[in-house]
Amino acid sequence: MSKKPTAGPALHKVIMVGSGGVGKSALTLQFMYDEFVEDYEPTKADSYRKKVVLDGEEVQIDILDTAGQEDYAAIRDNYFRSGEGFLCVFSITDDESFQATQEFREQILRVKNDESIPFLLVGNKCDLNDKRKVPLSECQLRAQQWAVPYVETSAKTRENVDKVFFDLMREIRSRKTEDSKATSGRAKDRCKKRRLKCTLLVFYDLIRDISSRKKQRQTDVKQPPKPNSHCCQLL
Amino acid sequence: MMEHIDNAISEADKFENRLDSYEDILGHVKETMEKIGGKNAMIEIANNNNIKLMKELNKVISQLNLPHSQQQALDEPDLKTANGRKAAIAAAQCLQQAMNSDIDPALLRLEAVQDQRKRFEKWKQKFSATVSRFMNNLFIHLGNEIGDMQVTSTELTLPNHSNVHRELTPYTELMHWTKAMDRKTYDGLMRVYTASLSKIYDRDVRNFFNLAKIQVTEKLRNSREDLDMSTSSRKSAVSTIPYGTLGINRDQWGPGVETADRIRFDALLEKVLAELEPIALQEQLFCINFFQMDVISPTTKNTQTTLEMEKAVDMTQSIIAGAVSPSADGVPQKRIDRQINEDVRKLMMGLFGCLEPELVSFIQSFERVDSFYSLYVFVRLTQHVMSAQDTHSFLSMTFASALVQVKRSFDRFMQNQLLSIREAKLHKRSKAILPYVENFENFAQTAEGIFRKSDRRTDMEKWYLQLVNAIFEGIQLHSQEHPKTPVQVVRMENYHHMYALLAQLKVPGLDALKKEAKKCYNDALKAYVTQYFGRPLEKLNQFFEGVQLKVAQGVKETEISYQMAFSKQELRKVIAQYPAREVKKGLENLYKKVEKHLSEEENLLQVVWHAMQEEFIAQYNYLEERIQKCYAGAMINLEFNIQDILAFFSDIARSH
Repeated sequence: MSKKPTAGPALHKVIMVGSGGVGKSALTLQFMYDEFVEDYEPTKADSYRKKVVLDGEEVQIDILDTAGQEDYAAIRDNYFRSGEGFLCVFSITDDESFQATQEFREQILRVKNDESIPFLLVGNKCDLNDKRKVPLSECQLRAQQWAVPYVETSAKTRENVDKVFFDLMREIRSRKTEDSKATSGRAKDRCKKRRLKCTLLVFYDLIRDISSRKKQRQTDVKQPPKPNSHCCQLL
Repeated sequence: MMEHIDNAISEADKFENRLDSYEDILGHVKETMEKIGGKNAMIEIANNNNIKLMKELNKVISQLNLPHSQQQALDEPDLKTANGRKAAIAAAQCLQQAMNSDIDPALLRLEAVQDQRKRFEKWKQKFSATVSRFMNNLFIHLGNEIGDMQVTSTELTLPNHSNVHRELTPYTELMHWTKAMDRKTYDGLMRVYTASLSKIYDRDVRNFFNLAKIQVTEKLRNSREDLDMSTSSRKSAVSTIPYGTLGINRDQWGPGVETADRIRFDALLEKVLAELEPIALQEQLFCINFFQMDVISPTTKNTQTTLEMEKAVDMTQSIIAGAVSPSADGVPQKRIDRQINEDVRKLMMGLFGCLEPELVSFIQSFERVDSFYSLYVFVRLTQHVMSAQDTHSFLSMTFASALVQVKRSFDRFMQNQLLSIREAKLHKRSKAILPYVENFENFAQTAEGIFRKSDRRTDMEKWYLQLVNAIFEGIQLHSQEHPKTPVQVVRMENYHHMYALLAQLKVPGLDALKKEAKKCYNDALKAYVTQYFGRPLEKLNQFFEGVQLKVAQGVKETEISYQMAFSKQELRKVIAQYPAREVKKGLENLYKKVEKHLSEEENLLQVVWHAMQEEFIAQYNYLEERIQKCYAGAMINLEFNIQDILAFFSDIARSH
């Protein structure tokens, strides 16, 4: 952002991502207003702000609640770019939503150009354990691969709702202090790293281009197997 | 024979004569006996009457008799010692009984009775005078004794005068006697008591409230050290705009207090009220008992001591025990109660005359330091008024009348808030979030903190409704006057702010307004996106608007290209004006403009940009679709495709 943030409590920007209907808005509203909204209404994009006390320090959290379905993934780039931390949400009752987290993760890493961006993998609807479709071990394995925490939540019962937001804010905060401590020398290192990533980025764009062109050509929704997985290995 | 016969005849005559004389005698005896019988009856009647007379006289005498010892006790009562008091009270009660004895009116004419009653009257007056003098001195003495004591307490407590009550309690029956026997003396004594005790209470109450007032400012000074440097100069420099005024920017407010201060004030008020209650209640209880105020006596009454006996006889029982007889003389119980209450209240008013003005002035001392004072004072005082068991008691009435004043200033405060919203002025450097919208958060949180669990919620909610409605009206109005921000952005950001606030507040009464805020926010967002997004492809849009007009006039879509103005050539010319490079630049500029329009604090840039991206894609799709429909087969395309657009978006994302 070009505008300088006004003096005041520290501001942490959190983005909710994940497929449609997994409960991103439900988690957000539960965290914001302690309420659980039963009826489902797809979100386009909503912005929330709340003052909270994080480990004794008053901070502000900005939450951008995003659409699960988007005609074009690139539309997300802009808000991914603005985020400082991500809650990547899926529903434990919906395997497809779990699979989709892969794509979200990749896009975020690409846009943020940073593998260690504060990020939590969140398995929502844990109150519906009897309808679980995604085995816990699989969730944990993926989180392990990404080196991110995995937390199961229920927006309905409020289980772990505060935890995911606060854990993420802690990560953002420690990340920020780390960054500000970083001396110019380290900053240079980072620059080098970034440049390397930039080249990778071009590569990404190419692949995305190809894949979306394919997608356009095939009028039926099924997407071809993602070449993205190769990219991941490249990283 | 003859002779014999003659003899016999004369003998018979003689005999006859004798018989006659006997009869005479018997007649006399009978007469006498009868007379004697009559006399005897008379004697018996007289005797009976005498006995009755004796009885009556005995009764009268015993009723009107006052043993010598008692006479003495009345003559020279020793009221200082317990025994002397006991004797005096017993004698006084005997006297009262004697004077109230039920004597036949006829007997009252007896001189002896009259004399005795005159004597009673004298005793009564003398005793009454003694009691009066004694009690009078006692009251004044007690009053002075406490009055002389130094008040050294710096604690916020109201001194307890139960020791006075303890000292006076032994004289309770004397007071009751005086009340029944000598109303004038009783009234006089009551006045003396009130006068001497009120001096003490006056002093106590004033000290108490002074201390309380000092604590208000003292505590404040501690927390406002930064502002304390020069109170006098501060006063003149400080703005007159009360802290928390919704319609005015925060930086123009006068000094206010922190929530913590407010909690302390509230606690202080609670302490003050809690201190007053037992003291006033104790005094009231004592007075009711001591002055026998729970029993009503007809004011005109006296005992039969008045010599105008006809009148006296007419009097019914002199004492109507309020509690016992439900409707003596047809006076409803309620009215008696009210009368009692009225009397008690009058007495308490005399004793605690300065309490109400002091309480009010204490409450006003909050007003000077905290414009929000009326909110918590209102709630706190309501609690005390509601929880009082006796709503007609002096203290309840005092609290209630203070409450009425506080309610008035509460309403005035809210009314001023409302006015400040309506009269809010925008300045050249005004922020996008209007002052009252920004200030409402703090205001509502303060109010909720105070009213959340109060019985007075409804009073607050009524004002919430008015205030929020006024804010919405203000947003509509002020959005048009904003110096640098577009109308739609002002509306969008302010409604968004209000929605978030109302969602957080969760005041049930504001649910409808919360929904309205959300709707207005969405409407404004939509309007902003379509209007300000403008149409980066304006000429293309215009071109196809023209096309649509033709179609509407009946031209077939496939034949549009034969229209001069809408030929393929023309279309190509327009399309040529939008090379990909230009479109990208246009989008970049748009992003910058939006970024400038939107305020940092509402954080809506991502939301708006998201909507704009969608809008742009929708426009692109629409144009493409029109081209394919109307110029099918002409191989005409825009100079950029969807992938280009997405790439532009990604580039914009990466560029900041």
